Amino acid sequence: MARLIRTEKEVEGRFTEQWIVVEEDALDQWPAGPRTVVGQPTRRVDGVERATGAAVYTADVQLPGMLHAAVLRSPHARARLVRLDLDAVRAAPGVRAVIGPDDLDVLTSEPCYEGHGVAAVAADSFEAARAALELAAPEWEVLEPLLDPEEAVRRESLLAEPRRHDRGDFDRGLAAADVVVQAEYRTQTLLHNPLETHQSVCHWEGDTLVLYTSTQNIWGVRDEVADAFGLPHDGVRVICRFMGGGFGAKNDAGDYTLVAAELARRTGRPVRCALTRREENVVSGNRNATIQRLTAAARSDGTLTALGGEFVSALGWDGWLGPTAGPMQMLYACANVRTVEYGAKLNLPPMAAFRAPGFVEGTFGLECLLDELAARLELDPLELRRRNHADSDGTDDRPYTSKNLMECYRRAETHWERRHEVRARSEGPWKRGVGMASQIWYGGGGPPSYAWIRVGSDGRAVVVTAMQDIGTGTRTAMAQIAAEELGVPLEHVRVEIGDSARGPYSVISGGSSTTPSMGPAVRSAAADVKRQILEIAAQRFHLEERVLDLKGGNVVSADGGSWSLEEVTGLLEDAQILGKGARGPNPTGMRVMTFGAQVAEVAVDVETGEVRVERVAAIHDVGRIVNPLGASSQVEGGIIQAIGHALSEERLDDPATGLVLTQTLDAYKVPTIADVPEIVTELVDVPDEHLTNLGSKGLGEPPIIPTAAAIANAIRDATGADVRSLPITREELLHALEAAREQERRGAAAPA
Amino acid sequence: MELRRPPDAQHAVAALGNGSLALAGGTDLVPLLRDGIVRADTLVHLADAVPRGIDGTRIGAGTTLAELEVDPQVPAALREACAQAASPQLRSMGTIGGNLRQATRCWYWRLRFPCWLHGGEVCHAKAGQHREHAIFGNERCASAHPSDPAAALLALGARVRTDRRELSVAELYRLPTDESRDVVVLAPDELVLELDVPLPDASVYLKAMDRKKWAFPLVGVAAARFGDRVAFGLAGVAPIPWAVDSADDLDRATPLPGTAYKVQIARALIARAFSAL
Amino acid sequence: MNVRLTVNGEPHEAEVWEGESLLFALRERLGLPGSKNACEQGECGSCSVLLDDRLVCSCLVLAVQADGHDVVTVEGLAEDGRLHRVQEAFAATGAVQCGFCTPGFVVAAADLLEHNADPSDDEIREALSGNLCRCTGYAKIFDAVRLAASQ
Repeated sequence: MARLIRTEKEVEGRFTEQWIVVEEDALDQWPAGPRTVVGQPTRRVDGVERATGAAVYTADVQLPGMLHAAVLRSPHARARLVRLDLDAVRAAPGVRAVIGPDDLDVLTSEPCYEGHGVAAVAADSFEAARAALELAAPEWEVLEPLLDPEEAVRRESLLAEPRRHDRGDFDRGLAAADVVVQAEYRTQTLLHNPLETHQSVCHWEGDTLVLYTSTQNIWGVRDEVADAFGLPHDGVRVICRFMGGGFGAKNDAGDYTLVAAELARRTGRPVRCALTRREENVVSGNRNATIQRLTAAARSDGTLTALGGEFVSALGWDGWLGPTAGPMQMLYACANVRTVEYGAKLNLPPMAAFRAPGFVEGTFGLECLLDELAARLELDPLELRRRNHADSDGTDDRPYTSKNLMECYRRAETHWERRHEVRARSEGPWKRGVGMASQIWYGGGGPPSYAWIRVGSDGRAVVVTAMQDIGTGTRTAMAQIAAEELGVPLEHVRVEIGDSARGPYSVISGGSSTTPSMGPAVRSAAADVKRQILEIAAQRFHLEERVLDLKGGNVVSADGGSWSLEEVTGLLEDAQILGKGARGPNPTGMRVMTFGAQVAEVAVDVETGEVRVERVAAIHDVGRIVNPLGASSQVEGGIIQAIGHALSEERLDDPATGLVLTQTLDAYKVPTIADVPEIVTELVDVPDEHLTNLGSKGLGEPPIIPTAAAIANAIRDATGADVRSLPITREELLHALEAAREQERRGAAAPA
Repeated sequence: MELRRPPDAQHAVAALGNGSLALAGGTDLVPLLRDGIVRADTLVHLADAVPRGIDGTRIGAGTTLAELEVDPQVPAALREACAQAASPQLRSMGTIGGNLRQATRCWYWRLRFPCWLHGGEVCHAKAGQHREHAIFGNERCASAHPSDPAAALLALGARVRTDRRELSVAELYRLPTDESRDVVVLAPDELVLELDVPLPDASVYLKAMDRKKWAFPLVGVAAARFGDRVAFGLAGVAPIPWAVDSADDLDRATPLPGTAYKVQIARALIARAFSAL
Repeated sequence: MNVRLTVNGEPHEAEVWEGESLLFALRERLGLPGSKNACEQGECGSCSVLLDDRLVCSCLVLAVQADGHDVVTVEGLAEDGRLHRVQEAFAATGAVQCGFCTPGFVVAAADLLEHNADPSDDEIREALSGNLCRCTGYAKIFDAVRLAASQ
């Protein structure tokens, strides 16, 4: 029966209370460990399409008569439009429609950040569209931009109320400590740089807007665009079968979609609006920079007595304040915690979610601080973390649905033990060291999410749901779950996704929520189908349903009878078995979180500031693993992205004008294959017994969280230098080494 | 825009100048054209116009970096500089002649800020973001020359033959001036045809970059030993490839606040290069 | 301008404008969208093709430069309906995530193995350093190249 419940919904650490209708199944979780299909390393069901170039991305969509849009974007961080010649644009060759600030909400005559949309044109080719925009000849009154986040906090230019958390008595905690460490950490602005830039193709079929888009959130885009155009929600059909990466930046419709839709409406023709790489790196979102002033206090045995932090996030003109203080509030048991978070509103491009927003930044600060504390306490960093293990959520004392962080630490030991041998391999200017860091993050998913499954007379199953695969292997995982429940080979299951007109609602692919949200719905739908098949088989073979089961593509009976599935479904002819499943609620009063620990080994050239990450061991606890091959991909991908975050990536803005300088991939340096260390992945793989019929949590985000801190801690281990600012460029490292030498000189000069 | 493919150097030279530009591998020119940083009415495709290939110490200007990096006739410093430049795709397209003419990666210049190098009044990098910029010759413009091979050719004392004269690589480059913001002395219609690269007793190229491969040099150091004389050529430290005699020359560097670290790296790499010879 | 070129063994003819890239011509005029446009300036390798057996970024080659030349794209690697061993290895090892960089990697890896049947890890790193994978599947891509080399 459908049940109406009031429940807490979480995406990327943001909670809302909402009413949800849930349908529950009575399925017990499968026993722990690898099953016939689930838990087995499984190649992508769509791998060949991707490897042959046959997969059709939004970038590859070609529609008859399609026009190309270009957007005139502000070249200033803050300005007022004085003059704009849209008539000249209209008269340019090949131009079919032009829109300006008065025509669409996302276009403005008073831009507040570089790249803010001003006008747009649809033309026969992208070159013609771009050439036409040159004729707009805008004149600007350039205004003074606000660029400094600390200044913004002083002026109370904030995107949200300051967020305060105060538990216990911070000052008493400080007073009770034997050791107090304080330091300021900084993290940089980072760019997502998915290889497929943000783009949409819009096409009106009568009153319906058909919209091909590169998105992580089919249903969110549908609703956002429908609301913008005053359409019923299903008046917008969103299609995304393959998409070329998002990492959090493709959760919304974006101005390009609204521009394409409006230009398509005006021209009556399909319109593509695709960001260039430069536009991508200016306006499509970023991981905002942070400044973190942190305090940790502990007794000599390592027990934390107080944790405190002031966090300033440079959010840009729009966006939301990620949970940067989250790790400090939740990762360790500490009675006295005081944090305040400010979200600075600046004349810089808006932030967007980026793989574990807030926690990536906050974990860098906290986990480096913890190592500085361990050094002062002369305690082993791993032991310090063990001693402060949190048994429940420190913010509200809720029990965790499952937590195997101690097991992660236990498995980390063998990697941690290598540090003596690693240090001993230091040679000449190359110093070697080992560092570690822990991780906590959300990733439990939640309702609603739905799946349908149909089985025809050939015994093949088709899973239908309007979800997207953002590259994580969602099609494969869903096929595995359906195959496992139905007891059929993986090859007998197809997964049809990516079209809001052809399937039920699915969760956003963000917040590590895809598998934990959709997986249980798919299993539930498969169980519905299975029940019906067994009912039919029972009648056909004159047996009781309870003695029948589906295994290996056969209907089997307790007394040894076995009939191929086709023998049963073959009766159907054109009739079909239709199953449906829904994601049930999360357990009330409990907290669903993911955990992990990573150990990094580095080599540092102390003369040239070069850092080589040589090995990273990652141990993560995310419940049941559906596809170990896909899971290790996620872990490796997260770690490699984090190496970029730690060492080479940084958006640079001109301090005078607020313009983004690193717009191309030569200036913004993502890792290459040559930057990849040996990566050892271990997954605890214990189902969360309280979470759904699957016991799986998400793994998209956890692996990127602890890596930068583990690297910085390894650098300290190797060289004695405290690196407190990302990225750890050669400049940053050489400065840190100099500061460490200076401190040593002063220390040596002081009387004993 | 028009594209011409002259059959020889003479025709190519005749086609150059007056708004036409030479196109070799295109790895730098094509993006510059696309971004509107340089403009051309005509592209003069050099595929048939400049020699390609390696013959002893002589290298055709149309020889690709990929061809140079594997040829045992080529001195180690040049081979290593080519091998560490750019990416395999770009090295299989980019020619050594074009590489000598490549433009700075200065983000202000590439974003068409009205900077001094573009003919304006100020160098925006000096008061702005300049971690990749110059430590020498940066009085008017702090841009850094990005060519690894040019630094090697400088250290090796290579000579350049154009359609009208012969000059050393050291003479090919000069710091831009108020009168001319160009970094080479070549006329707009002058074509580099060939290089002559003396064979040293030993040579090496060392490079510091932001990632392990496929990045422009923060500091590149080429060193070549001829008898008891060692010459160094540096990449990424000045608006042009920069020659130094020894690490002592770094005492005369004029780093910006954000490029002081390059002096330290250059010092370390010069010492390493010297001991590698 | 009219250009004639051989793509994946088939003669093609196309009307292009002077500044047009080979990538654009392949994708928009010749119906071969496998090569991807991601960075537009030769920095990511997603548009990698073989031009007269040399690995190049087709976004930097002008279509007119390819006039009279031989081009192989990701669509041309499979033979007689059988996947190229590199494609098979990418699928088998899970070396595809979002897949947008995959065609470029597959072409670069096939080119590597064509010239070096048994590459060392360092040679793999070198040969694939011009292809960026943001997801980033480099570790599995290593596995794929090693697997393909072993076959």
